Amino acid sequence: MSVAYFPGCSLHGMASEYDRSARLVCRHLGIELKEIEDWSCCGATAAHSLDHLLAVSLSARNLAIAEQMNLNQVTAPCAGCYNRLKTASYEIRNSEAIAAEVEKIIGAPAPVYSEVTNMVQLIIENVGIEAVAEKVRKPLSNMKVACYYGCLLTRPAKVTGFDDPEQPESLDRLMQSLGLETVNWSHKAECCGGGFAASETSIVVDLGGQVLEAARQAGAEAVVVACPMCQTNLDTRQEAIEKVRGVKYSLPIIYFTQLLGLAFGYSVSQLGLNKLLTSPLTLLKAKGLI
Amino acid sequence: MPATQLSTDFHKTMKLDNVNTSLQEEIKLECGVDIELCMECGKCSGGCSNAHIFDFTPRKVVQLVKIGDEETLLKMDALSTCVSCHLCVDRCPSQIDIPRIIDYLREKAHKQGIEPTRKNVQLFNKLMLDYVQKNGRVAETHLMVRFNFKTGQYFKDAEMGRKMFFKGKLKPFPSKVKRIEQVRLLFRDVPARREG
Repeated sequence: MSVAYFPGCSLHGMASEYDRSARLVCRHLGIELKEIEDWSCCGATAAHSLDHLLAVSLSARNLAIAEQMNLNQVTAPCAGCYNRLKTASYEIRNSEAIAAEVEKIIGAPAPVYSEVTNMVQLIIENVGIEAVAEKVRKPLSNMKVACYYGCLLTRPAKVTGFDDPEQPESLDRLMQSLGLETVNWSHKAECCGGGFAASETSIVVDLGGQVLEAARQAGAEAVVVACPMCQTNLDTRQEAIEKVRGVKYSLPIIYFTQLLGLAFGYSVSQLGLNKLLTSPLTLLKAKGLI
Repeated sequence: MPATQLSTDFHKTMKLDNVNTSLQEEIKLECGVDIELCMECGKCSGGCSNAHIFDFTPRKVVQLVKIGDEETLLKMDALSTCVSCHLCVDRCPSQIDIPRIIDYLREKAHKQGIEPTRKNVQLFNKLMLDYVQKNGRVAETHLMVRFNFKTGQYFKDAEMGRKMFFKGKLKPFPSKVKRIEQVRLLFRDVPARREG
């Protein structure tokens, strides 16, 4: 099957290992990702905080290109991009006035056919948990992870229509199919501070700190994420969080696609596992996984 | 704006005397959000990620809309510190889209030239949109450096930057959109919308 792929700015920048592992894993599972030609930024928090119509139009332009490529299913690995694309699609479908405005602004028909999915959803709905489990060559046993969904993968529920916004389970089930043990914890869908990493760093240190502390208390040895913002905040600010809280967490923050790839038999460098700041390599060696 | 300055007559001003319904009607019309559905349960504030640092929690924001206190709303610190996590709307039994109200108020405050309480948040957002308008995409490395220089924080993330450089996470050459004129078209009416 072919799916329109929206990598987003982060996956072309700091999160290139997420891009690389996502492409490898999808190919392995028989999903052909076709990058949206000449895609542009979804607008992120910056656009929706400053101009509503600009935010919707920036995302709509990308969906319209996907429709021109005859691809109605669109996937975005970044939870932030996924949320913006999905919101644009929701607004266009639910308001004729917005659809008309967007059409004028982007100079193309409003993309009403696009079905936007996040990448966890894409794999679960199009491949299935059992089929993923069958592909496992190296079970990731004896390792306890906390699956962290953050805000934007499931919320707002009326827009995403994906999983449970309070106690989501999809990523847990996907990781369990690789042999991982997933912990029950309180902060699965709490916020890491999102786009405030540079502008109000204290918010990320505060909210991200609560997430890391909850993962530690639940006995997790690593945190699994499906968002480059969550990954960057929890990874690059972990040292600052440790200083403020006086606790050494040393929790690797790993993309779920990297763990899928590892279980399918791909190497550390193919998956970019060596690119994470808080290195997962010691943990993975201790578990006999690399 | 510190909360203490705004809330001297807090309990008095939150009462439903002299209600001006124009803002409530405006929000219903412009955003499709009907705060009449609020049942005053407070679950929005109970869930809010940043309630502990807000001057006005989501429940109070809804109440301020109800009494029409636009001046307080457009100047409040919560406009700068809301992380748009959508916990409030998902916990609301009536699904009142408070993040949409916050975005609407942000846009309105910006239009009216009201100084945000945390200038760095708005500066970061503007610099980011500059990159989108110029290249169609955001170059994270460039954005971070430009933001830190503009705010005089030359060494703020130097140590983190050094580590990221050695992990190959910093990209000197930004990724760009080829048909950039298409993206710039999306921005063409933005100044007009900002001027109202």
